[in-house]
Amino acid sequence: MKELKILYLYPDILELYGDFGNIQVLRYRLEQRGIKAIIDSYSIGDIAPDFTKYDLVFAGGGADQEQGILSQDLLKHKDNIKKAIDDGVFFLLICGAYQLFGKYYKGVEGNIIPGLEIFDYYTEAIEDRKKRCIGNIVIEANLNGNPTKIIGFENHGGQTYGVSSPFGNVLFGNGNQFGALDEGFFLNNVIATYLHGPLLSKNPELTDFIIKYCLDRKYDENITLEDLDDTFENQCREQLLYRFLNVS
Amino acid sequence: MKNFFIILITKILYIILKIAGKNGGNFLGKLAYDWNSNIFHYFKIDCPIIAVTATNGKTMTNNAIGYVFKTADKKVISNIEGNNMETGILSTLLKSCSLTGKIKADYCVFEVDEGYIPIIFKDLKLDTLVILNFFRDQLDRNGEVESLILKINEFLKNYTGNLILNADDPNVARLGMANSENNNVYYFSVDQYDYATKDIKEAGEGKFCPFCNTRIEYEYYQYSHIGKFKCPNCGYGDNEIYKFATNVDLKNRCFNIDDITYQIRFNSIYNIYNFVAVITCASLYNIDKEIVRQALSEFVLNNGRLEELEINNIPTIINLAKNPTGANVSLRILNEDDSEKELLFVLNDNIADGFDVSWIWDINFDTLNNVTRIITSGTRAYDIAIRIKTSGFSPKKIEPYLDLSDAVKNLYKTDTKKYVIANYTSLQPTRKEILNFNQ
Repeated sequence: MKELKILYLYPDILELYGDFGNIQVLRYRLEQRGIKAIIDSYSIGDIAPDFTKYDLVFAGGGADQEQGILSQDLLKHKDNIKKAIDDGVFFLLICGAYQLFGKYYKGVEGNIIPGLEIFDYYTEAIEDRKKRCIGNIVIEANLNGNPTKIIGFENHGGQTYGVSSPFGNVLFGNGNQFGALDEGFFLNNVIATYLHGPLLSKNPELTDFIIKYCLDRKYDENITLEDLDDTFENQCREQLLYRFLNVS
Repeated sequence: MKNFFIILITKILYIILKIAGKNGGNFLGKLAYDWNSNIFHYFKIDCPIIAVTATNGKTMTNNAIGYVFKTADKKVISNIEGNNMETGILSTLLKSCSLTGKIKADYCVFEVDEGYIPIIFKDLKLDTLVILNFFRDQLDRNGEVESLILKINEFLKNYTGNLILNADDPNVARLGMANSENNNVYYFSVDQYDYATKDIKEAGEGKFCPFCNTRIEYEYYQYSHIGKFKCPNCGYGDNEIYKFATNVDLKNRCFNIDDITYQIRFNSIYNIYNFVAVITCASLYNIDKEIVRQALSEFVLNNGRLEELEINNIPTIINLAKNPTGANVSLRILNEDDSEKELLFVLNDNIADGFDVSWIWDINFDTLNNVTRIITSGTRAYDIAIRIKTSGFSPKKIEPYLDLSDAVKNLYKTDTKKYVIANYTSLQPTRKEILNFNQ
């Protein structure tokens, strides 16, 4: 029986906007295909994991207040994380986790929360606390040459700059900054994005893209994933794309 | 003089509204507030003002306090319809005051939106504040829970009135320390009930001690993050309890406080907390215990909050759920009932609901007890269908309908017992559609 090992980072802290749903969707789509999902979690106080031993690492978004506590802990694992990314372990990072993998996060009072500096982008909070990029969002991403519409929900005060390779073009919503043309960061085996929703719940093609990448890498093959019954997902996408973009 | 005219005009409008058979909601208050935002100052209120705030359970608790006081023959002014922002409270006052702004009552009892406590009670003297719980709620509209708690904490720093706090919610109990000069802090608590768990079962807040940032430890969880907790480092959580409910029996719908058995009409743990708050409040105003007992044995709310109906002889239970905890509590009641049942879940994403529906992923749909079919509806019918499917419930037994009347029609195709969960803007339309279906 095939299996994928998933590491879920800080599940008790980065858990604000239903991002846990991404893990549930991954598990569901793996198990439906008879693939075992082994899900380990790591949080503050746990024994340090070896990131290179995993096929997929996931982290979500959390409350602003807890971001600082988290950064200190995450920095302890910097070298191991860097090695895992270089080895090709897939990283899916949402919102707060997206920000923490960049250079830094600059808060409203000018305080700097250091990031892992694995990527060049950086994030600065907007001065007016009440101003946040909030709302439904649709982007178009390129998944193995297939332009794919990705639907999610964004809720972030941070404005991310210096992204060399974005996840997608914004069709509806804000993106990396207010009114930005691009959203997120995507380089080889790393997708970092502001999209909640949870992201994978309405985007089965993206989920399968990630699953295929992980299986191909692990088992050194070019797998064709078995189709699943995506009736609800397709109905949902059709309804929402029509609502947001007026296209069917 | 200006205030006199504002009151006069709103009173005339109120008469017109009444003749037209309308209640007006926030309308009168909004009109007056736009005219003069300092108008709260003008009211002469000699009676105690009691306010109830929380994420969940405001309407239930507010109405129950009012009902208890009325049963004790007190004259009560209250925003029983749940208009709980500044304009709603103002509407209630405008309808009840004399032209000179005098309020003639024994008690004013208001439910107040969490965010509006500092605004409304800047100018109105508050006698008792009841705080039940803080949960994540419409994050895209309200922001994170922490900022809300800090605002209330700031307000409480200069407050010396009665403060009734849920000792089992770490985010509420901490507010008892906001003003060390206030000797009128009363904690209530509920003893471990049959379905309490060792580990948290549903999404919760307050994992770290607000005073020393240490991870809080729990002896047990009643629901969400409500339970017996303590900070292992600084000892936070060890409060003296003023009213403590024991022998909670949801099947027989009763519990004990101070050797009195209270029989109630509801069967959920979270309502027990609401009623213990009510009993605490009544006790502070020396309402006769026998009257409280009797009032609580009669009290019901017929507005879709755990409302029990018979539709074409099919038992139907409707409950509002506008955030994960509300939905999880509804599912607790469903799972604690062993009989076969079907669920209707209606999810809208209108402005008042919040546009973000990701909170449905914080609902615990695992191991639903004897649910044979689930119908989903609302503007986000498919989102909730995906959510439920992913939890492992067979998609063959899930039927999404964007149209609410289609959903209700199909729900009643069988005569199995029904549970209905609806979020904020979908609650009343769903309730209406279901009541219309009753022949």
